Amino acid sequence: MGDELRIGVAVKHGIDVGLVKADPSTGTVDLSSAPRKTSDFDKNAVEEAVRIRERRGKGQVTAISVGAPAARESLREALAIGADEAILVSDPALPQPDTRAVARALAAVYRKVGGFDLFLFGEGSTDHFSGLVGPRVAGELGIPSLSHVRRLQVQDGEIEVERDLEEEVEVLRARGPVVVTVGQEINTPRLPTFMANLKASKREIRQWTLTDLGLSGTVLQSHLRTDRVAVPQVPRKRQVLSGSSPEEVAQRLLSVLRSEGVLP
Amino acid sequence: MTAPQGILCYSEEVDRARELLRYCRARDLAAGGPVAAAILGETSPDTPAHLAEAGAQTVYRMSASPPPLPDPHVLAPALASIIREVQPELVLVSSTKRGRELAGRVAGLLDLVAETGVTDLRREGDRWVLEREALSGNAIAQESLSAPVAVIAMTPGLEAPAVPPAPLAVRDVAGSFPPPLTELRERRKKSGGGVRLEDAERIVTVGRGLRQREDIPLVESLARALGAAVGCTRPLAAEAGWFSDDHWIGLTGHRVKPKLYVAVGVSGAVQHLVGMRGSRLVVAINKDPNAPIFQQADYGVPGDLYQLIPALLKVLGASVGTPS
Repeated sequence: MGDELRIGVAVKHGIDVGLVKADPSTGTVDLSSAPRKTSDFDKNAVEEAVRIRERRGKGQVTAISVGAPAARESLREALAIGADEAILVSDPALPQPDTRAVARALAAVYRKVGGFDLFLFGEGSTDHFSGLVGPRVAGELGIPSLSHVRRLQVQDGEIEVERDLEEEVEVLRARGPVVVTVGQEINTPRLPTFMANLKASKREIRQWTLTDLGLSGTVLQSHLRTDRVAVPQVPRKRQVLSGSSPEEVAQRLLSVLRSEGVLP
Repeated sequence: MTAPQGILCYSEEVDRARELLRYCRARDLAAGGPVAAAILGETSPDTPAHLAEAGAQTVYRMSASPPPLPDPHVLAPALASIIREVQPELVLVSSTKRGRELAGRVAGLLDLVAETGVTDLRREGDRWVLEREALSGNAIAQESLSAPVAVIAMTPGLEAPAVPPAPLAVRDVAGSFPPPLTELRERRKKSGGGVRLEDAERIVTVGRGLRQREDIPLVESLARALGAAVGCTRPLAAEAGWFSDDHWIGLTGHRVKPKLYVAVGVSGAVQHLVGMRGSRLVVAINKDPNAPIFQQADYGVPGDLYQLIPALLKVLGASVGTPS
Protein backbone atom coordinates (compact mmCIF):
# COMPACT_ATOMS: atom_id res chain seq x y z
CA MET A 1 0.00 0.00 0.00
CA GLY A 2 1.55 3.27 -1.11
CA ASP A 3 1.49 6.52 0.75
CA GLU A 4 -1.22 7.86 -1.51
CA LEU A 5 -4.10 5.61 -0.63
CA ARG A 6 -6.43 4.79 -3.47
CA ILE A 7 -9.90 4.31 -2.08
CA GLY A 8 -12.87 3.02 -4.06
CA VAL A 9 -16.43 3.39 -2.75
CA ALA A 10 -19.44 1.62 -4.20
CA VAL A 11 -22.63 3.67 -4.15
CA LYS A 12 -26.13 2.38 -4.84
CA HIS A 13 -28.90 4.59 -6.10
CA GLY A 14 -31.59 2.60 -4.37
CA ILE A 15 -35.24 2.89 -3.49
CA ASP A 16 -36.14 5.58 -0.98
CA VAL A 17 -37.74 3.21 1.49
CA GLY A 18 -39.20 6.02 3.57
CA LEU A 19 -41.22 7.27 0.60
CA VAL A 20 -42.49 3.95 -0.68
CA LYS A 21 -46.25 3.80 -0.70
CA ALA A 22 -48.16 0.56 -0.96
CA ASP A 23 -51.26 0.38 -3.11
CA PRO A 24 -53.94 0.32 -0.41
CA SER A 25 -56.16 -2.11 -2.34
CA THR A 26 -53.48 -4.74 -2.92
CA GLY A 27 -50.93 -3.96 -0.20
CA THR A 28 -48.20 -4.24 -2.82
CA VAL A 29 -45.54 -1.81 -3.97
CA ASP A 30 -44.62 -0.95 -7.53
CA LEU A 31 -40.85 -0.67 -7.26
CA SER A 32 -40.32 0.53 -10.82
CA SER A 33 -41.94 3.86 -10.01
CA ALA A 34 -40.65 4.20 -6.45
CA PRO A 35 -38.57 7.31 -5.67
CA ARG A 36 -34.84 6.71 -5.31
CA LYS A 37 -31.95 8.05 -3.28
CA THR A 38 -28.46 7.07 -2.20
CA SER A 39 -28.53 3.96 -0.06
CA ASP A 40 -28.02 4.95 3.60
CA PHE A 41 -24.97 2.88 4.50
CA ASP A 42 -23.23 3.79 1.24
CA LYS A 43 -23.17 7.38 2.44
CA ASN A 44 -21.35 6.19 5.55
CA ALA A 45 -18.88 4.43 3.25
CA VAL A 46 -18.28 7.63 1.24
CA GLU A 47 -17.92 9.67 4.42
CA GLU A 48 -15.41 7.18 5.84
CA ALA A 49 -13.37 7.21 2.62
CA VAL A 50 -13.26 11.01 2.62
CA ARG A 51 -12.31 11.11 6.31
CA ILE A 52 -9.42 8.69 5.74
CA ARG A 53 -8.12 10.90 2.92
CA GLU A 54 -8.56 14.03 5.03
CA ARG A 55 -6.70 12.52 7.99
CA ARG A 56 -3.79 11.47 5.81
CA GLY A 57 -3.78 14.69 3.84
CA LYS A 58 -3.54 12.82 0.56
CA GLY A 59 -5.10 10.04 -1.41
CA GLN A 60 -7.78 9.59 -4.01
CA VAL A 61 -11.44 8.65 -3.44
CA THR A 62 -13.30 7.17 -6.40
CA ALA A 63 -17.06 6.70 -6.12
CA ILE A 64 -18.59 4.07 -8.41
CA SER A 65 -22.20 3.28 -9.11
CA VAL A 66 -23.64 0.51 -11.25
CA GLY A 67 -27.17 0.96 -12.50
CA ALA A 68 -29.50 3.23 -14.40
CA PRO A 69 -28.34 6.67 -15.62
CA ALA A 70 -30.27 8.22 -12.70
CA ALA A 71 -27.51 6.86 -10.43
CA ARG A 72 -25.60 10.02 -11.41
CA GLU A 73 -27.57 11.71 -8.66
CA SER A 74 -25.99 9.50 -6.02
CA LEU A 75 -22.55 9.99 -7.54
CA ARG A 76 -23.05 13.76 -7.36
CA GLU A 77 -23.87 13.38 -3.70
CA ALA A 78 -20.67 11.37 -3.20
CA LEU A 79 -18.70 14.13 -4.96
CA ALA A 80 -20.38 16.74 -2.77
CA ILE A 81 -19.39 14.79 0.37
CA GLY A 82 -15.82 14.87 -0.93
CA ALA A 83 -15.09 12.08 -3.41
CA ASP A 84 -12.44 13.09 -5.96
CA GLU A 85 -13.94 11.37 -8.97
CA ALA A 86 -16.98 9.37 -9.97
CA ILE A 87 -17.60 6.51 -12.37
CA LEU A 88 -21.00 5.35 -13.56
CA VAL A 89 -21.38 1.90 -15.06
CA SER A 90 -24.59 1.89 -17.02
CA ASP A 91 -25.67 -0.21 -19.92
CA PRO A 92 -29.01 -0.49 -21.71
CA ALA A 93 -28.38 -4.24 -21.93
CA LEU A 94 -28.67 -4.43 -18.16
CA PRO A 95 -31.28 -1.95 -16.98
CA GLN A 96 -31.74 -3.59 -13.59
CA PRO A 97 -28.55 -5.40 -12.62
CA ASP A 98 -28.80 -7.89 -9.75
CA THR A 99 -26.21 -8.31 -6.99
CA ARG A 100 -24.14 -10.68 -9.14
CA ALA A 101 -24.02 -8.27 -12.09
CA VAL A 102 -23.24 -5.29 -9.83
CA ALA A 103 -20.43 -7.20 -8.14
CA ARG A 104 -18.97 -8.38 -11.46
CA ALA A 105 -19.07 -4.81 -12.80
CA LEU A 106 -17.43 -3.39 -9.66
CA ALA A 107 -14.69 -6.02 -9.79
CA ALA A 108 -14.15 -5.13 -13.47
CA VAL A 109 -13.87 -1.42 -12.60
CA TYR A 110 -11.33 -2.31 -9.91
CA ARG A 111 -9.22 -4.13 -12.50
CA LYS A 112 -9.61 -1.44 -15.15
CA VAL A 113 -8.44 1.39 -12.88
CA GLY A 114 -5.51 -0.66 -11.60
CA GLY A 115 -7.01 -1.54 -8.21
CA PHE A 116 -7.73 0.25 -4.94
CA ASP A 117 -5.92 -0.15 -1.65
CA LEU A 118 -9.23 0.01 0.11
CA PHE A 119 -12.63 -0.73 -1.46
CA LEU A 120 -15.49 0.44 0.73
CA PHE A 121 -19.13 -0.66 0.64
CA GLY A 122 -22.22 -0.20 2.76
CA GLU A 123 -22.83 -3.44 4.67
CA GLY A 124 -26.17 -3.75 2.89
CA SER A 125 -28.44 -1.55 0.80
CA THR A 126 -31.46 0.16 2.31
CA ASP A 127 -33.81 -1.42 -0.20
CA HIS A 128 -32.43 -4.92 -0.77
CA PHE A 129 -30.04 -5.50 2.15
CA SER A 130 -28.48 -8.69 0.88
CA GLY A 131 -24.99 -7.83 2.16
CA LEU A 132 -23.60 -9.80 -0.77
CA VAL A 133 -21.95 -7.28 -3.07
CA GLY A 134 -18.84 -6.45 -1.02
CA PRO A 135 -17.97 -10.09 -0.16
CA ARG A 136 -18.71 -11.14 -3.77
CA VAL A 137 -16.31 -8.55 -5.16
CA ALA A 138 -13.66 -9.64 -2.66
CA GLY A 139 -14.26 -13.30 -3.55
CA GLU A 140 -13.94 -12.65 -7.24
CA LEU A 141 -10.79 -10.56 -6.77
CA GLY A 142 -9.28 -12.95 -4.22
CA ILE A 143 -8.71 -10.19 -1.68
CA PRO A 144 -9.81 -10.08 1.97
CA SER A 145 -13.15 -8.65 3.00
CA LEU A 146 -13.94 -7.26 6.41
CA SER A 147 -17.67 -6.89 6.93
CA HIS A 148 -19.86 -5.01 9.40
CA VAL A 149 -17.08 -2.64 10.37
CA ARG A 150 -17.77 0.12 12.86
CA ARG A 151 -14.23 1.41 13.38
CA LEU A 152 -11.47 1.61 10.81
CA GLN A 153 -7.85 2.68 11.08
CA VAL A 154 -5.15 2.77 8.46
CA GLN A 155 -1.68 2.51 9.91
CA ASP A 156 1.71 1.56 8.52
CA GLY A 157 0.22 0.05 5.42
CA GLU A 158 -2.19 -2.05 7.44
CA ILE A 159 -5.89 -1.73 7.96
CA GLU A 160 -7.28 -2.47 11.38
CA VAL A 161 -11.01 -2.75 11.90
CA GLU A 162 -13.45 -3.50 14.63
CA ARG A 163 -16.39 -5.50 13.35
CA ASP A 164 -19.72 -5.99 14.97
CA LEU A 165 -21.24 -9.47 14.76
CA GLU A 166 -24.45 -10.63 16.41
CA GLU A 167 -22.88 -11.82 19.64
CA GLU A 168 -19.27 -10.83 19.28
CA VAL A 169 -16.94 -7.99 18.49
CA GLU A 170 -13.79 -8.76 16.51
CA VAL A 171 -10.67 -6.71 15.90
CA LEU A 172 -8.96 -7.75 12.68
CA ARG A 173 -5.99 -6.60 10.67
CA ALA A 174 -5.29 -7.01 7.00
CA ARG A 175 -2.92 -5.68 4.39
CA GLY A 176 -4.44 -3.95 1.40
CA PRO A 177 -5.97 -4.36 -1.02
CA VAL A 178 -9.02 -5.10 1.07
CA VAL A 179 -12.80 -4.81 0.85
CA VAL A 180 -14.48 -3.25 3.88
CA THR A 181 -18.22 -3.02 4.46
CA VAL A 182 -19.47 -0.48 6.97
CA GLY A 183 -22.63 0.11 8.96
CA GLN A 184 -24.25 3.29 10.15
CA GLU A 185 -22.37 3.23 13.44
CA ILE A 186 -19.04 4.08 11.86
CA ASN A 187 -19.77 7.79 11.36
CA THR A 188 -22.40 10.41 10.66
CA PRO A 189 -22.16 11.49 7.03
CA ARG A 190 -21.78 15.24 6.61
CA LEU A 191 -24.47 17.28 4.96
CA PRO A 192 -22.75 18.84 1.95
CA THR A 193 -22.84 22.63 1.86
CA PHE A 194 -24.65 24.51 -0.86
CA MET A 195 -21.30 25.34 -2.47
CA ALA A 196 -20.17 21.70 -2.33
CA ASN A 197 -23.38 20.63 -4.03
CA LEU A 198 -23.02 23.32 -6.66
CA LYS A 199 -19.43 22.32 -7.41
CA ALA A 200 -20.37 18.64 -7.55
CA SER A 201 -23.14 19.36 -10.03
CA LYS A 202 -20.54 20.70 -12.48
CA ARG A 203 -18.10 17.82 -12.17
CA GLU A 204 -17.66 15.30 -14.90
CA ILE A 205 -18.81 11.77 -14.24
CA ARG A 206 -17.09 9.08 -16.29
CA GLN A 207 -19.49 6.64 -17.84
CA TRP A 208 -18.60 3.11 -18.86
CA THR A 209 -20.68 0.41 -20.50
CA LEU A 210 -20.30 -3.31 -19.89
CA THR A 211 -18.33 -3.56 -23.13
CA ASP A 212 -15.88 -0.94 -21.83
CA LEU A 213 -15.32 -3.31 -18.91
CA GLY A 214 -14.99 -6.43 -21.04
CA LEU A 215 -18.28 -7.80 -19.73
CA SER A 216 -21.32 -9.11 -21.56
CA GLY A 217 -24.91 -8.20 -20.81
CA THR A 218 -26.00 -11.68 -21.86
CA VAL A 219 -23.77 -13.39 -19.34
CA LEU A 220 -24.90 -11.02 -16.60
CA GLN A 221 -28.65 -11.33 -17.18
CA SER A 222 -30.35 -11.85 -13.86
CA HIS A 223 -31.55 -15.27 -12.81
CA LEU A 224 -33.33 -13.76 -9.86
CA ARG A 225 -36.52 -11.83 -10.43
CA THR A 226 -38.65 -9.94 -7.92
CA ASP A 227 -42.25 -10.95 -8.56
CA ARG A 228 -44.05 -9.11 -5.83
CA VAL A 229 -43.32 -6.78 -2.94
CA ALA A 230 -46.00 -6.62 -0.28
CA VAL A 231 -46.10 -4.31 2.70
CA PRO A 232 -47.66 -6.08 5.66
CA GLN A 233 -50.20 -3.65 7.03
CA VAL A 234 -50.42 -3.48 10.78
CA PRO A 235 -53.69 -1.69 11.45
CA ARG A 236 -53.25 0.93 14.18
CA LYS A 237 -55.98 2.95 15.82
CA ARG A 238 -54.16 6.27 15.43
CA GLN A 239 -56.13 8.01 18.15
CA VAL A 240 -54.77 11.23 19.53
CA LEU A 241 -55.08 11.82 23.26
CA SER A 242 -55.04 15.32 24.63
CA GLY A 243 -56.11 17.21 27.70
CA SER A 244 -55.87 20.52 29.49
CA SER A 245 -52.86 19.46 31.56
CA PRO A 246 -50.15 16.77 31.37
CA GLU A 247 -51.81 15.06 34.38
CA GLU A 248 -55.14 14.91 32.63
CA VAL A 249 -53.52 13.37 29.52
CA ALA A 250 -51.63 10.93 31.72
CA GLN A 251 -54.88 9.89 33.47
CA ARG A 252 -56.58 9.39 30.14
CA LEU A 253 -53.71 7.37 28.67
CA LEU A 254 -53.44 5.06 31.67
CA SER A 255 -57.16 4.36 31.79
CA VAL A 256 -57.13 3.58 28.04
CA LEU A 257 -54.21 1.18 28.54
CA ARG A 258 -56.02 -0.55 31.41
CA SER A 259 -59.17 -0.98 29.38
CA GLU A 260 -57.08 -2.37 26.52
CA GLY A 261 -55.81 -4.95 28.99
CA VAL A 262 -52.12 -4.11 28.55
CA LEU A 263 -51.70 -2.73 32.06
CA PRO A 264 -52.86 -4.41 35.25
CA MET B 1 -21.56 -33.71 -16.91
CA THR B 2 -24.77 -34.49 -15.06
CA ALA B 3 -27.16 -31.74 -14.04
CA PRO B 4 -26.71 -30.39 -10.52
CA GLN B 5 -28.88 -32.27 -8.08
CA GLY B 6 -29.79 -32.12 -4.42
CA ILE B 7 -29.05 -29.67 -1.66
CA LEU B 8 -25.91 -29.04 0.35
CA CYS B 9 -26.29 -27.40 3.79
CA TYR B 10 -23.54 -25.73 5.75
CA SER B 11 -23.22 -23.70 8.90
CA GLU B 12 -20.26 -23.52 11.25
CA GLU B 13 -22.84 -23.78 14.03
CA VAL B 14 -24.11 -27.35 14.19
CA ASP B 15 -27.58 -26.34 15.43
CA ARG B 16 -28.05 -24.00 12.49
CA ALA B 17 -26.87 -26.68 10.06
CA ARG B 18 -29.39 -29.08 11.61
CA GLU B 19 -32.14 -26.50 11.20
CA LEU B 20 -31.31 -26.12 7.50
CA LEU B 21 -31.28 -29.90 7.02
CA ARG B 22 -34.61 -30.45 8.79
CA TYR B 23 -36.15 -27.60 6.80
CA CYS B 24 -35.10 -29.28 3.54
CA ARG B 25 -36.15 -32.76 4.53
CA ALA B 26 -39.49 -31.79 6.07
CA ARG B 27 -40.50 -30.01 2.84
CA ASP B 28 -38.75 -32.40 0.50
CA LEU B 29 -37.07 -29.40 -1.11
CA ALA B 30 -34.62 -31.67 -2.88
CA ALA B 31 -37.58 -33.41 -4.57
CA GLY B 32 -36.09 -36.82 -3.97
CA GLY B 33 -32.54 -35.66 -4.67
CA PRO B 34 -29.82 -36.03 -2.06
CA VAL B 35 -29.65 -33.76 0.98
CA ALA B 36 -26.11 -33.40 2.23
CA ALA B 37 -24.19 -31.47 4.84
CA ALA B 38 -20.66 -30.15 4.87
CA ILE B 39 -18.22 -30.05 7.76
CA LEU B 40 -15.33 -27.68 7.27
CA GLY B 41 -12.57 -28.51 9.68
CA GLU B 42 -14.79 -29.00 12.69
CA THR B 43 -13.26 -31.71 14.80
CA SER B 44 -15.96 -32.84 17.22
CA PRO B 45 -16.41 -36.58 16.55
CA ASP B 46 -20.17 -36.33 17.22
CA THR B 47 -20.97 -33.76 14.55
CA PRO B 48 -21.53 -36.17 11.62
CA ALA B 49 -24.04 -38.16 13.69
CA HIS B 50 -25.83 -34.96 14.73
CA LEU B 51 -26.13 -33.94 11.09
CA ALA B 52 -27.32 -37.39 9.98
CA GLU B 53 -29.91 -37.33 12.73
CA ALA B 54 -31.26 -34.09 11.23
CA GLY B 55 -31.54 -35.75 7.84
CA ALA B 56 -28.15 -35.40 6.14
CA GLN B 57 -27.84 -38.39 3.83
CA THR B 58 -24.18 -37.70 3.21
CA VAL B 59 -21.84 -35.68 5.38
CA TYR B 60 -18.92 -34.28 3.39
CA ARG B 61 -16.06 -33.58 5.71
CA MET B 62 -12.92 -31.64 5.04
CA SER B 63 -10.65 -31.99 8.04
CA ALA B 64 -7.83 -29.82 9.21
CA SER B 65 -5.58 -29.80 12.18
CA PRO B 66 -5.64 -27.39 13.86
CA PRO B 67 -9.21 -26.52 12.83
CA PRO B 68 -9.44 -23.39 10.69
CA LEU B 69 -10.82 -20.15 12.07
CA PRO B 70 -14.45 -19.28 11.33
CA ASP B 71 -13.12 -16.96 8.67
CA PRO B 72 -14.76 -16.70 5.25
CA HIS B 73 -11.37 -16.42 3.54
CA VAL B 74 -10.48 -19.85 4.84
CA LEU B 75 -13.91 -21.50 4.68
CA ALA B 76 -15.16 -20.20 1.33
CA PRO B 77 -12.53 -21.90 -0.88
CA ALA B 78 -13.06 -25.15 1.05
CA LEU B 79 -16.84 -24.95 0.66
CA ALA B 80 -16.35 -24.08 -3.02
CA SER B 81 -14.33 -27.24 -3.58
CA ILE B 82 -17.03 -29.35 -1.89
CA ILE B 83 -19.66 -27.66 -4.08
CA ARG B 84 -17.62 -28.57 -7.17
CA GLU B 85 -17.44 -32.17 -6.02
CA VAL B 86 -21.07 -32.57 -4.87
CA GLN B 87 -22.68 -30.53 -7.70
CA PRO B 88 -25.80 -29.57 -5.72
CA GLU B 89 -28.51 -27.40 -7.23
CA LEU B 90 -28.74 -25.40 -4.01
CA VAL B 91 -26.27 -24.52 -1.31
CA LEU B 92 -27.97 -23.41 1.90
CA VAL B 93 -26.20 -21.44 4.58
CA SER B 94 -27.46 -19.39 7.53
CA SER B 95 -28.23 -15.71 7.02
CA THR B 96 -26.18 -14.53 9.97
CA LYS B 97 -23.54 -11.84 9.48
CA ARG B 98 -20.84 -14.50 9.08
CA GLY B 99 -23.14 -16.64 6.93
CA ARG B 100 -23.95 -13.79 4.54
CA GLU B 101 -20.29 -12.95 4.14
CA LEU B 102 -19.53 -16.60 3.42
CA ALA B 103 -22.42 -16.77 0.92
CA GLY B 104 -21.13 -13.70 -0.89
CA ARG B 105 -17.56 -14.92 -1.01
CA VAL B 106 -18.46 -18.39 -2.26
CA ALA B 107 -20.82 -16.89 -4.84
CA GLY B 108 -18.05 -14.53 -5.96
CA LEU B 109 -15.52 -17.37 -6.20
CA LEU B 110 -17.82 -19.59 -8.28
CA ASP B 111 -19.83 -16.82 -10.03
CA LEU B 112 -23.11 -18.22 -8.69
CA VAL B 113 -26.45 -16.53 -8.16
CA ALA B 114 -27.01 -15.85 -4.45
CA GLU B 115 -29.60 -14.40 -2.13
CA THR B 116 -29.70 -13.79 1.60
CA GLY B 117 -32.29 -13.16 4.31
CA VAL B 118 -34.59 -15.78 2.84
CA THR B 119 -37.45 -16.76 5.14
CA ASP B 120 -39.27 -19.21 2.90
CA LEU B 121 -38.23 -21.34 -0.02
CA ARG B 122 -40.15 -23.68 -2.29
CA ARG B 123 -39.84 -25.39 -5.62
CA GLU B 124 -42.23 -24.49 -8.40
CA GLY B 125 -41.57 -26.41 -11.58
CA ASP B 126 -38.08 -25.64 -12.74
CA ARG B 127 -37.59 -22.59 -10.56
CA TRP B 128 -37.34 -21.69 -6.91
CA VAL B 129 -39.72 -19.26 -5.28
CA LEU B 130 -38.35 -17.51 -2.25
CA GLU B 131 -39.55 -14.97 0.22
CA ARG B 132 -37.39 -12.45 1.98
CA GLU B 133 -37.62 -9.18 3.80
CA ALA B 134 -37.19 -6.14 1.62
CA LEU B 135 -37.24 -2.35 1.92
CA SER B 136 -35.38 -2.33 5.24
CA GLY B 137 -37.67 -4.98 6.63
CA ASN B 138 -40.86 -3.07 5.86
CA ALA B 139 -41.96 -5.37 3.09
CA ILE B 140 -41.93 -9.01 2.06
CA ALA B 141 -40.60 -9.66 -1.41
CA GLN B 142 -41.33 -12.75 -3.41
CA GLU B 143 -38.57 -13.62 -5.85
CA SER B 144 -38.16 -16.38 -8.36
CA LEU B 145 -34.85 -17.92 -9.11
CA SER B 146 -33.97 -19.89 -12.18
CA ALA B 147 -30.32 -20.84 -12.13
CA PRO B 148 -28.81 -24.30 -12.28
CA VAL B 149 -26.94 -23.66 -9.02
CA ALA B 150 -27.51 -21.01 -6.36
CA VAL B 151 -26.36 -20.10 -2.86
CA ILE B 152 -29.15 -19.16 -0.48
CA ALA B 153 -28.70 -17.82 3.02
CA MET B 154 -31.75 -18.65 5.12
CA THR B 155 -32.79 -16.47 8.06
CA PRO B 156 -32.35 -18.45 11.32
CA GLY B 157 -35.49 -19.53 13.12
CA LEU B 158 -36.96 -21.58 10.27
CA GLU B 159 -39.86 -23.86 10.89
CA ALA B 160 -37.94 -27.10 10.93
CA PRO B 161 -39.77 -30.03 12.52
CA ALA B 162 -38.08 -33.28 13.40
CA VAL B 163 -37.47 -35.61 10.47
CA PRO B 164 -36.57 -39.29 10.25
CA PRO B 165 -32.81 -39.59 10.78
CA ALA B 166 -30.64 -40.65 7.87
CA PRO B 167 -28.14 -43.48 8.22
CA LEU B 168 -24.70 -42.08 8.96
CA ALA B 169 -22.61 -41.74 5.81
CA VAL B 170 -19.43 -39.69 5.99
CA ARG B 171 -17.31 -38.88 2.95
CA ASP B 172 -13.93 -37.39 3.65
CA VAL B 173 -13.01 -34.82 1.06
CA ALA B 174 -9.37 -34.27 0.23
CA GLY B 175 -8.26 -30.70 0.20
CA SER B 176 -6.67 -28.09 2.34
CA PHE B 177 -7.65 -24.78 3.81
CA PRO B 178 -5.84 -21.70 2.55
CA PRO B 179 -4.03 -19.50 5.07
CA PRO B 180 -6.16 -16.74 6.58
CA LEU B 181 -5.99 -13.40 4.78
CA THR B 182 -6.62 -11.45 7.95
CA GLU B 183 -5.10 -11.45 11.38
CA LEU B 184 -7.48 -11.82 14.30
CA ARG B 185 -6.30 -9.48 17.05
CA GLU B 186 -9.17 -9.82 19.44
CA ARG B 187 -12.53 -11.53 19.77
CA ARG B 188 -14.80 -10.74 22.66
CA LYS B 189 -18.37 -11.56 23.57
CA LYS B 190 -20.60 -8.52 23.62
CA SER B 191 -21.43 -7.49 27.11
CA GLY B 192 -25.13 -7.98 27.58
CA GLY B 193 -27.08 -6.49 30.45
CA GLY B 194 -29.12 -9.67 30.53
CA VAL B 195 -31.97 -7.88 28.77
CA ARG B 196 -34.03 -10.07 26.48
CA LEU B 197 -36.28 -7.54 24.77
CA GLU B 198 -37.74 -10.27 22.56
CA ASP B 199 -39.41 -11.75 25.66
CA ALA B 200 -40.61 -8.50 27.24
CA GLU B 201 -44.35 -8.03 27.76
CA ARG B 202 -44.04 -4.27 27.90
CA ILE B 203 -41.36 -2.00 26.55
CA VAL B 204 -40.68 1.72 26.98
CA THR B 205 -38.42 2.88 24.17
CA VAL B 206 -36.66 6.20 24.12
CA GLY B 207 -35.32 8.05 21.11
CA ARG B 208 -33.52 11.23 20.28
CA GLY B 209 -36.16 13.28 22.08
CA LEU B 210 -34.12 12.58 25.21
CA ARG B 211 -31.84 15.59 25.62
CA GLN B 212 -29.04 14.17 27.71
CA ARG B 213 -27.73 10.96 29.18
CA GLU B 214 -28.51 12.21 32.69
CA ASP B 215 -32.22 12.00 31.85
CA ILE B 216 -32.18 8.22 31.36
CA PRO B 217 -33.43 7.62 34.95
CA LEU B 218 -36.61 9.46 34.02
CA VAL B 219 -37.31 6.89 31.31
CA GLU B 220 -36.23 4.01 33.53
CA SER B 221 -38.65 5.17 36.21
CA LEU B 222 -41.54 5.12 33.77
CA ALA B 223 -40.52 1.65 32.58
CA ARG B 224 -40.35 0.41 36.16
CA ALA B 225 -43.75 1.88 37.02
CA LEU B 226 -45.28 0.19 33.98
CA GLY B 227 -43.45 -3.11 34.56
CA ALA B 228 -41.65 -2.60 31.26
CA ALA B 229 -38.18 -3.19 29.83
CA VAL B 230 -36.23 -0.25 28.43
CA GLY B 231 -35.48 -0.05 24.73
CA CYS B 232 -33.82 2.61 22.63
CA THR B 233 -33.42 3.68 19.02
CA ARG B 234 -30.24 3.32 17.01
CA PRO B 235 -28.77 6.78 17.61
CA LEU B 236 -28.87 6.32 21.38
CA ALA B 237 -27.05 2.99 21.26
CA ALA B 238 -24.81 3.17 18.23
CA GLU B 239 -24.03 6.87 18.04
CA ALA B 240 -24.38 8.29 21.53
CA GLY B 241 -23.44 5.06 23.30
CA TRP B 242 -25.94 5.80 26.09
CA PHE B 243 -27.30 2.26 25.93
CA SER B 244 -25.71 -1.09 25.12
CA ASP B 245 -26.74 -2.87 21.91
CA ASP B 246 -29.11 -5.22 23.73
CA HIS B 247 -31.51 -2.29 24.24
CA TRP B 248 -31.51 -1.30 20.58
CA ILE B 249 -34.74 -1.95 18.68
CA GLY B 250 -34.79 -1.79 14.90
CA LEU B 251 -33.68 -3.30 11.63
CA THR B 252 -30.13 -4.03 12.74
CA GLY B 253 -31.08 -4.26 16.43
CA HIS B 254 -33.76 -6.34 18.11
CA ARG B 255 -37.22 -7.18 16.76
CA VAL B 256 -39.76 -7.10 19.55
CA LYS B 257 -43.38 -8.15 20.07
CA PRO B 258 -44.62 -6.90 23.44
CA LYS B 259 -48.24 -6.40 24.50
CA LEU B 260 -47.50 -2.73 25.07
CA TYR B 261 -44.91 -0.59 23.31
CA VAL B 262 -44.46 2.97 24.52
CA ALA B 263 -42.26 5.07 22.20
CA VAL B 264 -41.05 8.20 23.94
CA GLY B 265 -39.30 10.88 21.93
CA VAL B 266 -39.03 8.46 19.00
CA SER B 267 -39.55 10.03 15.58
CA GLY B 268 -40.27 6.75 13.79
CA ALA B 269 -37.54 6.13 11.19
CA VAL B 270 -38.38 3.18 8.95
CA GLN B 271 -35.49 1.19 10.37
CA HIS B 272 -36.98 1.56 13.83
CA LEU B 273 -40.55 0.78 12.81
CA VAL B 274 -39.43 -2.65 11.58
CA GLY B 275 -38.21 -3.52 15.05
CA MET B 276 -41.48 -2.59 16.79
CA ARG B 277 -43.95 -3.78 14.17
CA GLY B 278 -44.84 -6.93 16.09
CA SER B 279 -46.13 -4.96 19.10
CA ARG B 280 -49.79 -5.46 19.99
CA LEU B 281 -50.49 -1.91 21.18
CA VAL B 282 -48.33 1.09 20.44
CA VAL B 283 -48.32 4.38 22.34
CA ALA B 284 -46.28 7.32 21.02
CA ILE B 285 -45.28 10.41 22.97
CA ASN B 286 -43.57 13.05 20.86
CA LYS B 287 -43.26 16.84 20.81
CA ASP B 288 -43.64 16.93 17.04
CA PRO B 289 -47.29 16.21 16.16
CA ASN B 290 -46.18 15.39 12.61
CA ALA B 291 -43.63 12.75 13.62
CA PRO B 292 -44.08 9.58 11.51
CA ILE B 293 -44.36 7.49 14.67
CA PHE B 294 -47.95 8.76 15.15
CA GLN B 295 -48.96 7.00 11.92
CA GLN B 296 -47.85 3.72 13.47
CA ALA B 297 -49.37 4.25 16.91
CA ASP B 298 -52.66 3.19 18.44
CA TYR B 299 -52.58 6.07 20.88
CA GLY B 300 -50.60 9.19 20.15
CA VAL B 301 -49.83 11.82 22.73
CA PRO B 302 -48.41 14.96 21.16
CA GLY B 303 -46.42 16.60 23.93
CA ASP B 304 -43.16 17.04 25.75
CA LEU B 305 -41.81 13.89 27.35
CA TYR B 306 -40.30 16.04 30.10
CA GLN B 307 -43.81 17.02 31.17
CA LEU B 308 -45.65 13.83 30.33
CA ILE B 309 -43.38 11.30 32.02
CA PRO B 310 -43.49 13.10 35.39
CA ALA B 311 -47.27 13.38 35.02
CA LEU B 312 -47.55 9.65 34.27
CA LEU B 313 -45.35 8.83 37.25
CA LYS B 314 -47.46 11.02 39.49
CA VAL B 315 -50.69 9.36 38.39
CA LEU B 316 -49.05 5.94 38.78
CA GLY B 317 -47.94 6.91 42.29
CA ALA B 318 -44.30 6.39 41.37
CA SER B 319 -41.32 8.68 41.54
CA VAL B 320 -38.14 9.32 39.59
CA GLY B 321 -35.07 7.66 40.98
CA THR B 322 -33.08 4.50 41.24
CA PRO B 323 -34.86 1.35 42.36
CA SER B 324 -34.82 0.77 46.09
